Amino acid sequence: MEKDNILTIQHLKKSFGQHEVLKDIDLQVQRGEVMTIIGSSGSGKSTLLRCLNLLDDATAGEILYNGQNILDPNFNRIQYRAKVGMVFQQFNLFNNLNALENCVVAQTTVLKKNPAEAEKNALAQLEKVGMGPYVKAKPAQLSGGQKQRVAIARTLAMSPDMILFDEPTSALDPEMVDGILDIMKDLAHTGLTMILVTHEMGFARDISDHVVFMDQGVIAEQGSAEQIFSSPKNPRTQEFLQRYLKRL
Amino acid sequence: MYLKQKRSWLSIIGLLFAVFVIAAGTFHSSQAQAAKKSKKVFLVGMEANYPPFNWTQQDASNGAVPIQGSNLYANGYDVQVSKRIAKRLGRPVEVAKTEWDGLLPALTSGKIDAIIAGMTPTPEREKTIDFTRAYYNSKQIIVVNKNSKYAKAKTLKDFKGAKLTGQLSTVQYDLIKQIKGAIREPAMRDFSSMRVALQSNTIDGYVAELPEGYSMAVADPNATYINLSGKGGFVLDKTESQEAIGLRKNDPNKATINSVLSKLPNSEQSRLMQQAVKEQPQTSSQGNWFIDIWQQYGGMLLRGIGMTLLLAIVGTAVGFIIGLLIGIVRTIPAPKKRLQRYLINFVNWLLSVYIEVFRGTPMIVQAAVFYYGAAQAFGINLDRTTSALIIVSINTGAYLAEIIRGGIISIDQGQFEAATALGMTHFQQMNKIVLPQAVRNSIPAVTNEFIVNIKDTSVLSIISVSELFFTGSTIAGQNFQFFHTYLTISLIYLIMTFTITRIFRLIEKKLNGPKNYDLMTNDFQIATPKIAGK
Repeated sequence: MEKDNILTIQHLKKSFGQHEVLKDIDLQVQRGEVMTIIGSSGSGKSTLLRCLNLLDDATAGEILYNGQNILDPNFNRIQYRAKVGMVFQQFNLFNNLNALENCVVAQTTVLKKNPAEAEKNALAQLEKVGMGPYVKAKPAQLSGGQKQRVAIARTLAMSPDMILFDEPTSALDPEMVDGILDIMKDLAHTGLTMILVTHEMGFARDISDHVVFMDQGVIAEQGSAEQIFSSPKNPRTQEFLQRYLKRL
Repeated sequence: MYLKQKRSWLSIIGLLFAVFVIAAGTFHSSQAQAAKKSKKVFLVGMEANYPPFNWTQQDASNGAVPIQGSNLYANGYDVQVSKRIAKRLGRPVEVAKTEWDGLLPALTSGKIDAIIAGMTPTPEREKTIDFTRAYYNSKQIIVVNKNSKYAKAKTLKDFKGAKLTGQLSTVQYDLIKQIKGAIREPAMRDFSSMRVALQSNTIDGYVAELPEGYSMAVADPNATYINLSGKGGFVLDKTESQEAIGLRKNDPNKATINSVLSKLPNSEQSRLMQQAVKEQPQTSSQGNWFIDIWQQYGGMLLRGIGMTLLLAIVGTAVGFIIGLLIGIVRTIPAPKKRLQRYLINFVNWLLSVYIEVFRGTPMIVQAAVFYYGAAQAFGINLDRTTSALIIVSINTGAYLAEIIRGGIISIDQGQFEAATALGMTHFQQMNKIVLPQAVRNSIPAVTNEFIVNIKDTSVLSIISVSELFFTGSTIAGQNFQFFHTYLTISLIYLIMTFTITRIFRLIEKKLNGPKNYDLMTNDFQIATPKIAGK
């Protein structure tokens, strides 16, 4: 069967000065799959994600999105970013705007939607993540879990092809985590392409189609959730997962 | 409705900008009118604050002449001489009220046609301008307090140990060097300052010319003067105790003016001077000094307040817009394409130069360079108010650019990243996300800048803009009530700055938005529950 890749990453390298964070990454992301990137801190997971959304510029290599190299200077980054959403660990809601405006602003400026339509869509997305009653609240008035819900709604309001999640629950109180994971689980079932960096191993095992284990800037092992969590082949993967399973 | 709110801060800026453009337009047209008129008008530069030679008054009585760009009048010995000359030249006469230090540059840069201000032709001055024959022969005196030990002095020797001063860049100030053992205090800007210093005993006396002595004797009963032109007095050339008219080099009118002056014998000079002393403004204090000042000079004070506020408001508003634009440009991320990158770097370099130059030099110097320098070097002749508005605006812009840049870089990197990740361009990010937050954070600093502007526009008196401080010194020069006048002025400054602080506090509060928010509720929840049985 012909594979439908939304992203094809080839020989991707990223250095910060002398320090090489990503060393020759090759990776394929299929349309509609939920891919989880796991690994210890400093292994390059977040940097990889940031390179995928061009927040960091890769030093070398190619990232093909629907066959087009996004690192090409003539590539339309604006259009690409509008199609590829990102959810941050620190939420990064716009502090000057309320929940609803947070979800409207990019629709009207980037997608040039008319305000009424954008507002209607934003309200629907906020409703979907359970933030219907809080549309007028400013970020400072919301809890961490509520902020992350708004951040997800803000991304969804752009009708993205793909969403990148950068440790979306790491900054949350434990009792907030499940609510966010539930929302992401629901999203996974809609057939949206999702790339997720997380330390929630149980969750990763449940929802992932494809798990990637990164270690010291390289992909040490990848495969289905079943393969990686039940019978990891690489001793580093085994060591890493053991530490987590012990905690569970 | 949400979107409307978001746009409001941009529309406020737009509105301010429009106000500035309109204001500039009005000034421009008045300037154009002035330019049209100036072909005919004989414009004479003087301090209009040195009675009995020249002073400012509020009406045209006793043959006073209008002061250009105001509804005040100048009169005095100099004005009467100016009128004779203008009559002969067949041109209407107007006075350009100019600080003493500004007279020479005003003449050489073509802002005025002649200096008739009690100026002595010295060799230094003759290097830059021409002088006519004398129009007044004066005597050198020292003004002292009646009750001081110097009141009985006869010769220079008697002034041993006295603290003396004179006006900056005058012959009289140099004369102090001839008094052995006298303490030569720093020179002062104008006669008002010297009179205040004498009244408050910070000096024992000041060197001046005879008419100042007449004048002081009339105005201040505690003052007297010692004539030091005779034996045991000052030694100086004949020309050094003469007053002449300053003209640009090779002025074709010089011969005509000299012929007018030749018909002004000593007796006639003396008669005109006596008349001037009689007509000079008198203090009319019958009751409460505060009420007196407002009754007599209320209109002038209000216009001074108006000018100060105009300069501060326009300067801060335009400076704010400049600051915002520079803030946006300076934070553009380095573009991928080489040519664009060079261009951005070049623009950034230019902006740094602008900021460094205008932050690194005093506004008083900028004003002098801009107003006199531009006219002298390039023949650009702007009127005072326009020059002042431009200087205050670009000076404030340099400060606010850095304040707003500080506001922008203090914003969490996550805000930029989230906006970038959504596909917003640099300008969209700035407009919708970053600047609203940066501006909010900068408001205390902008308030500061506004207050500084209210006070520091007083340095623009160097180019004779009649803002509040300049108005104050004019009034003090007329009523000789220095302490009371400046006390009134400082009270006005205090009220203005205090009010503005309060207004900005309110704006801050408004921008913070309400502390609580309404939960979106449906009708069912909003409905007041009905209590059964009631």
